[in-house]
Amino acid sequence: MKILIDLIRFSPSFRVGTMILSIVVTLLVMSFFSPYEADERRAVPRNEPPSRNYILGTNSQGQDVFWMLTFGIRNSLIVAGLAVAIGRGIGVILGLVSGYLGGLWDRVLSSVVDSFIVIPRLPLLILIAVMVRGQLTFIGLGIILGLLDWAFPSKRYRAQILSLKERDFTQTAVFSGMRTFKIVTQEHLPFITPLLLADIVSGFLFALGMEVTLAIFGLSDMDTQTIGTMIYWGNYYQALLTNRIWVLAAPIIASVVVVVGFYLISLGLTTYLDPRTRLVRLQAQS
Amino acid sequence: MKVTTPNVTTQNMTTIVSAKDLQAYYVTNAYGVARTVKAVDNISIDIQQGEVYGLAGESGCGKSTLLKVLLGDIQPPLTVLGGSVHYQLDGELQDAATMTVEDKRDIRWRQVSYIPQGSMHVLNPVRRIQDTFHDFITTHKQTTKRESKEMTQSYLRDLGLPEKVMRSYPHQLSGGMRQRVTIALATILWPKLIFADEPTTALDVVVQRGVIQLLRDIQHKENSTVVLITHDLGVHANLADRIGVLYAGKLVEEAATKTILKSPQHPYTKYLINSLPSFAGHSAKESIPGRPPALDKPPQGCRFHPRCPLAISKCEHEEPPMLELAPGHRAACHLLTSSSA
Repeated sequence: MKILIDLIRFSPSFRVGTMILSIVVTLLVMSFFSPYEADERRAVPRNEPPSRNYILGTNSQGQDVFWMLTFGIRNSLIVAGLAVAIGRGIGVILGLVSGYLGGLWDRVLSSVVDSFIVIPRLPLLILIAVMVRGQLTFIGLGIILGLLDWAFPSKRYRAQILSLKERDFTQTAVFSGMRTFKIVTQEHLPFITPLLLADIVSGFLFALGMEVTLAIFGLSDMDTQTIGTMIYWGNYYQALLTNRIWVLAAPIIASVVVVVGFYLISLGLTTYLDPRTRLVRLQAQS
Repeated sequence: MKVTTPNVTTQNMTTIVSAKDLQAYYVTNAYGVARTVKAVDNISIDIQQGEVYGLAGESGCGKSTLLKVLLGDIQPPLTVLGGSVHYQLDGELQDAATMTVEDKRDIRWRQVSYIPQGSMHVLNPVRRIQDTFHDFITTHKQTTKRESKEMTQSYLRDLGLPEKVMRSYPHQLSGGMRQRVTIALATILWPKLIFADEPTTALDVVVQRGVIQLLRDIQHKENSTVVLITHDLGVHANLADRIGVLYAGKLVEEAATKTILKSPQHPYTKYLINSLPSFAGHSAKESIPGRPPALDKPPQGCRFHPRCPLAISKCEHEEPPMLELAPGHRAACHLLTSSSA
């Protein structure tokens, strides 16, 4: 919590990123108060340009683009959140285990991690999506994305733990009789937490990008509103040819805004992690 | 392991830690190349309660290894091949070799403490000093954050350290202050036995003085025992009651500080003392010819003989025994046998 307050105070990019994401979160919450069902068609007049009644216009299926977008953002973030939770969960646990236990554990886990790193992810995802086409729900997509994105993070945690383990203060703590659990939670966690935050954000970026990519190829669950499927259906119904640009503009702008928001936050976190700027900030505080 | 009673000396003091015929080697076997570094070879030391015992010797002579063994902090490749270490704590005799991990965990920091070498990285850089103190205190005592804070505060006040260091991060402190905070951290639970590994290294003389003063204050207050390791004989002269001189993994001479400084007996000690600057003479200081031997292949016989100007043929083959020259003055040199015989 203190870290968050620090970040908002000292990092402009984190501040702007937080503002953008709070707008996104507002949209997400609004989806629960939508006057229409997510897949309800012909609910509103078709092909209306943005106006006072329909803020982002309507599409050829008689759906309100604004409320579609709120559902899209919600589902996209669910996919990404699921992917991040699974990916980082596996990554953190494996990284900590191979870092702290070392020896045989480390050798076995490292070779598994190394083989996962060299697997090209997008082609594999496309392959999986083609194979389970029709049966893949957006929850399933999130799980698959998560299962493919833990190898690099786990390497990062392992490296961090290996370095922390060799520091003098760790050895002094061990000598003083401190329990391993306490050393991990009290002495090492402050080093890991900022790293984890930055990692979560970059995980969101990866998962959102993958979701949109797969949906544009028509490979994900096409019946669920996500940012990606909105772009796909917009193209499918010739939004560009028929000059109904708003149908496409809304999801594209939304995806850019979400990505930029997360990127600004990760930028702020990176500055926060840099020991030199951290020093200046600590001095400014005291 | 057989428990032997440690020697009780005539000065009516109890031995707090005693090592007997200690042999600790670094044994490595990497890619078929076996190497044995004889870092501690047949060292016997009795350290009395309430004294400051100085261990002197040049780099690589086994000072820190001896300390590790005395602390019972033995991790491969360091292997104890022979000898024993006994602690006498709370009137109870404990053998370091048979102590369980839990026993060791219990006495460490509370009874036997350690001031690590190089204070730069001993304190956790992302935690405030008071949090670090809290972590170490709660390892052995159930205290709330407020209690440990008060404890730290009054202890730092006693030691004359500014209270504002408690809210600082380690990087905000100067080197000398950091060293003093480290010493305070090591002694916060009033240990009876304190091992200090090069506490004044990398500090300038003015700061050294402050650190020495602090160590002495702590030692006086609780009459605790300090084992001081440094290559700096000036610090030893200031602080230590007795000095043991190590050379190439062996104890070559041991005596009260005054005796060592006034009348050293072993040729190596003589060289060490003669190299100290004095007010009287301005003669050029003579250095010992040659270099200390590599400990994986120490010289036969007396380990000092290749560099010793007084070496006789006996020195090349036979290891000199430890001789009691006077009460409390021991040295290992063949010349002393032949002159006294």
